[in-house]
Amino acid sequence: MARVTRRHFLRVTAGGAAGLGGALALGRAPAVAQTRELTFLTVASFVPETDKELKRQFEEWGAKNKVKVRLDIIAHLQLQTKKAAEVQSRSGHDLTALGPGLGDADLYFDYLADLNDVATDVAPKNGGWLNQDDYLIRGKWKLLPWWMPPFPMAVRTDLLEKIGEKNPDTWEDWLRVGKKGKAIGHPFGTALGHSADANVTMLSILWSYGGAYVAKDGRTITINSKETRQALDFVKRLYTEAMDPEVLAWDDASNNRCLNAGKCIGIHNPISAYESAKKDKVLVPGTQKEIAEVIDHINTPRGPVERKATTGYWCVGIWNFSKNVDLAKDFLRYHFQPENLSRWVDAGHGFNMPFLSNLTRHAVYKSDKQYRFIPEVAKVSVPPSWPGPTTAASQQVLDLYIIPDMFAQHATGKMTADQAIVWAEKEMQEIYAGRKRKP
Amino acid sequence: MNSVRRIRPLFTLYLPVMPFVLFALFPLYFMVVTSFKKNAELYDVNSVPFLIKRGVTLGHYQLLSQDTLFWSWFVNSLIVSVAATVISVVIGILAAYPLARLRFPGGDSFGVAIFVTYLVPPSLLFLPLSTVVNRLGLSDSLWALVVTYPTFLVPFCTWLLLGYFRTVPKEIEECAMLDGCSRLQTLVRILLPVAVPGVICAALFAFTLSWNEFLYALVFVSPAELKTMTVGVFSELIRGDIYYWGGLMAGACIGSLPIVVAYVFFLDYYVSGLTAGAVK
Repeated sequence: MARVTRRHFLRVTAGGAAGLGGALALGRAPAVAQTRELTFLTVASFVPETDKELKRQFEEWGAKNKVKVRLDIIAHLQLQTKKAAEVQSRSGHDLTALGPGLGDADLYFDYLADLNDVATDVAPKNGGWLNQDDYLIRGKWKLLPWWMPPFPMAVRTDLLEKIGEKNPDTWEDWLRVGKKGKAIGHPFGTALGHSADANVTMLSILWSYGGAYVAKDGRTITINSKETRQALDFVKRLYTEAMDPEVLAWDDASNNRCLNAGKCIGIHNPISAYESAKKDKVLVPGTQKEIAEVIDHINTPRGPVERKATTGYWCVGIWNFSKNVDLAKDFLRYHFQPENLSRWVDAGHGFNMPFLSNLTRHAVYKSDKQYRFIPEVAKVSVPPSWPGPTTAASQQVLDLYIIPDMFAQHATGKMTADQAIVWAEKEMQEIYAGRKRKP
Repeated sequence: MNSVRRIRPLFTLYLPVMPFVLFALFPLYFMVVTSFKKNAELYDVNSVPFLIKRGVTLGHYQLLSQDTLFWSWFVNSLIVSVAATVISVVIGILAAYPLARLRFPGGDSFGVAIFVTYLVPPSLLFLPLSTVVNRLGLSDSLWALVVTYPTFLVPFCTWLLLGYFRTVPKEIEECAMLDGCSRLQTLVRILLPVAVPGVICAALFAFTLSWNEFLYALVFVSPAELKTMTVGVFSELIRGDIYYWGGLMAGACIGSLPIVVAYVFFLDYYVSGLTAGAVK
């Protein structure tokens, strides 16, 4: 066996360390052939065709402009981690999906390129932005609002008929329908735990009863109100009289499963449950009838004060540390051309509704009666921070599930309405004062 | 008398062990059953979750094979895990040997320090490591994982081998040195053959940790064709609020196989490697 001397060992390890140190100091890889490459990180759509169409457009744009392109798709649950790492290392993709919610743009405000020029270019071609002021972060276009999945009510028409009900329109209607449904083993279902769906539905109820958690100034916490108390009492009745306790542990997939399993009489959800039931040809239990045939989608419910809802606001941004900011903007202009957006919405069966007026009137929403209310829901959808502006604090209120927790603590009897409100108020005041860190 | 002797193990060994075996195997069983169930049965809340009553389907395995890059991800996981394991075990041996055998100031503290580094959670390390990976130009390549996995594997291997090496009498090494062996020769020719169970145990653990790793694989590698299995399956089969449970379970079943095979082949070494030093 060859003898390794101490001197030889030291020489080899010192050389290796020097090489590694050199590469680290240089801050980049050894020289390689330089080609223009644009990369885009996005989240997997529940309709795979949406991603295929986006990839097709990206590649088409790349071929026209002689740019190598790479679209990376990850599950939406992974996006936060990925973004944090990219910002930390100031490297990664050029374009990135942001969301759900507009708060990312406030959190990463210093790392996102200004998109004022792109936003101004694409709006007139598509009939203008739906609610332009909602999308400005600190008065600037730091992102382009990309798509939202509006939240109608998915309802089992056969069960409605069975209990002698039709066209529930208000939250009180849904309480009545849920009570009757629960009595025959088909409760109403909406998540009341730590999930995005729970945030959406509980905020929708809060607003519909006239409540809100933050004022328009984005600083004053307004959760302590008689409207919030009314909303809390309503959700307590909904939970105890019309739902099963399992909703406290539901994730975003649970209500889809409840509807498609034939258990729930109705859920507050985008059309994803219906689409997957149709694709998988799921049957109504004990029959040969496809459950998709007895599902209908109707408007998001109205409360005593108004009809209002929110949803996941999915956006797209460009990192300002990208070396291809101009190329990335060029692709966004290309993708946001009316014909390209139209094809993309078509591929997604309308699940991915852009925040542009013309696209809310897309033909796909007339192609299936199931989609008829989606444009209506989009019209009453507002960002989760409504009526306040989107900030990192508003995003944190969502991320910490303060709203669902407040409702759940009262609904389950752990707290009185006043205690739940005081608890939520304190949490929100700490968040808005910047004293509470993310877990 | 003979029949009593034959029956006794049933009550003293098999029956008492049975609940633990069932408990340990239940997740595997549930995974296999779910991966062969049709979607209609998976959705049915009235169906028995532990049994297949409406026929078996291979659809979920077909989905994995035909609609995703599953087998590329499988190969990527294999390459990364084997490479990271080899590197970590070799470095672990070279680190554990001096800590076990040589006497130098701060040696014990150094050993403890190595173990403490193992306790630093990857969820803290991934942010600074992402800068390192980027500066090394390794982003979006399997090398990023081969280089970063040893950050948690080496401390573990070193600590495990350190304990094992200390159980080997140092007199046999001293005899070898008296016969003219150098330190390195003593390590390679004398210590390692005796310490094979410990080395295999460390390698098995390192391979398992690499195979199951998720966070670094998610953060450091983005292209679909370079993903490892853990990230690939998760990315492709959770789409918004739609979870492809059958496909997820099918991926988990196939993903379990290399670990199961490895443990079946090396179980004896593994047990003796783990328990070395337990009894003096």
